[in-house]
Amino acid sequence: MAQAAVLHADRPRVIPRLAGAGLAWTLIRTDFKARYHGTFSGFAWALLKPAAIFLVLMVVFSFVFPDPSYKLQLVVGLFLWDFFAEGTKTGLASLHAKGFLFTKIRVPLWVLVLASIANPLITLAVFSVVIVAFLALAGSAPTALGVALFAAYGVALTLLVAGFSLAASVLFLKYRDLNQIWDVIAQAGFFVAPIIYPLGIVPERFHFYFYLWPPTPIIEFSRAALVRHEIPTPTGHLCLAIEVVAALTIGALVMRRHGPRAAEYV
Amino acid sequence: MTTLLELQDVSKSFWIPDERRDTIREHVFAAFRPRPLRELRVLESVSLALSRGEALGLMGGNGAGKSTLLKILCGIYVPDSGRVVANAAITPILELGVGWNPELDAIDNICLMGTIMGLSLAELRRDVDEILEFAELKPFARMHLKHYSSGMAARLAYGVAFSAVREVLVLDEVLAVGDAGFKQRCEERYRQLRARGHSAIVVSHNPYIISSFCDRALLLEGGRLMMEGAAGDVAATYVSRLTHAGHPVPA
Repeated sequence: MAQAAVLHADRPRVIPRLAGAGLAWTLIRTDFKARYHGTFSGFAWALLKPAAIFLVLMVVFSFVFPDPSYKLQLVVGLFLWDFFAEGTKTGLASLHAKGFLFTKIRVPLWVLVLASIANPLITLAVFSVVIVAFLALAGSAPTALGVALFAAYGVALTLLVAGFSLAASVLFLKYRDLNQIWDVIAQAGFFVAPIIYPLGIVPERFHFYFYLWPPTPIIEFSRAALVRHEIPTPTGHLCLAIEVVAALTIGALVMRRHGPRAAEYV
Repeated sequence: MTTLLELQDVSKSFWIPDERRDTIREHVFAAFRPRPLRELRVLESVSLALSRGEALGLMGGNGAGKSTLLKILCGIYVPDSGRVVANAAITPILELGVGWNPELDAIDNICLMGTIMGLSLAELRRDVDEILEFAELKPFARMHLKHYSSGMAARLAYGVAFSAVREVLVLDEVLAVGDAGFKQRCEERYRQLRARGHSAIVVSHNPYIISSFCDRALLLEGGRLMMEGAAGDVAATYVSRLTHAGHPVPA
């Protein structure tokens, strides 16, 4: 096979570097508008849906679990997991879904991938506002530091999803069963992450392994900051930062390696 | 004359496996079974240069490698060997209406197609009226694209595409849309762009389009450059080769 003599940077550029932000914004805005038909009730529903689900879960869990702290921790875990599961699923399929686009014009693939996770991110943002408001109204308002930490964990989770999506989206063009494999892994991961059970029931010597699964530290730390009013340890934060940086680095490297030939895989 | 775009000895092959393996399961279960690959050589040592203000035509039969060449020029495919040098921004129109969404109205689709083609949001806000005017769609600006006829949608796509032209315009068989009046306006717009100093690469099977819209042309055959010369001469050679091969000649 002939050696590739042309560097990726030598590929003619169609979209100027700075126009990527405008493209991302337009893709997110038009996708949101098309999804909710651009009507006021559509926009309102997009915002009300997470709030409504939150209320339903709180009412149901009030009957099932008398401990108010447990039901709040459960709801926090479920929403964060929902974003992780939904974000990775849409991120993985993002390039496959936009194949009609980058086979006709050179667009920055990372923009298509990141724009695809905007919708679950909006849901997570609305939920975050709702739960902080709920805690404040219930007389258990988190501290300013707790809210800031929760926001930081949300950013960390988004970066994790972005890193995964960058790698998985381009690999999915080559390996068409990756989505099915990921569905199984995500299903197993739901039970590995301490969402429906407290991590305390697991012997402490195994905690380290549970924390290797990235959603675990984010869910545990978010609960600590919001519900239990505790600050996780610096070591825990360092481990989380390493996981986020590793996910982003791997995602960027895989995208850099396979991205230039993505149009040939479709 | 400044060279805006240059291809030096560009080759491209696609490797076609005798047995497709598209899944991880297939790769794992056949890990130790060799998979013979057949080489489909699409382009072989093709070189070309486009100067500022020039219009270059590209002709060739089906499977000659024209689309692959355009995709390499536009940065969509990576060549196996050779070099692509681009000293100017390129606006490819390989298909009309890339990325449009039938659930959105014309204005949102102008933003969507325009940003995909590299226009900034500020440029789009400035040009939106002119695009609608050119496409004769001002009264239908807020109508969803799914309610447009195919001709209306194509006119909108043309409006955005012509508005997005940077320095080099790349056209792949898209100058034959709409009624006679609209075609004439497209041709006028094309000539205006040329008069303003824009360069163009035009792919067509139509000898009339190549000889009237291009200064120079290339003839591709089997992935190789067979002829380079004045647009009229290349178009005539293409027609004569088709006639001898017994193919119908495009009108």
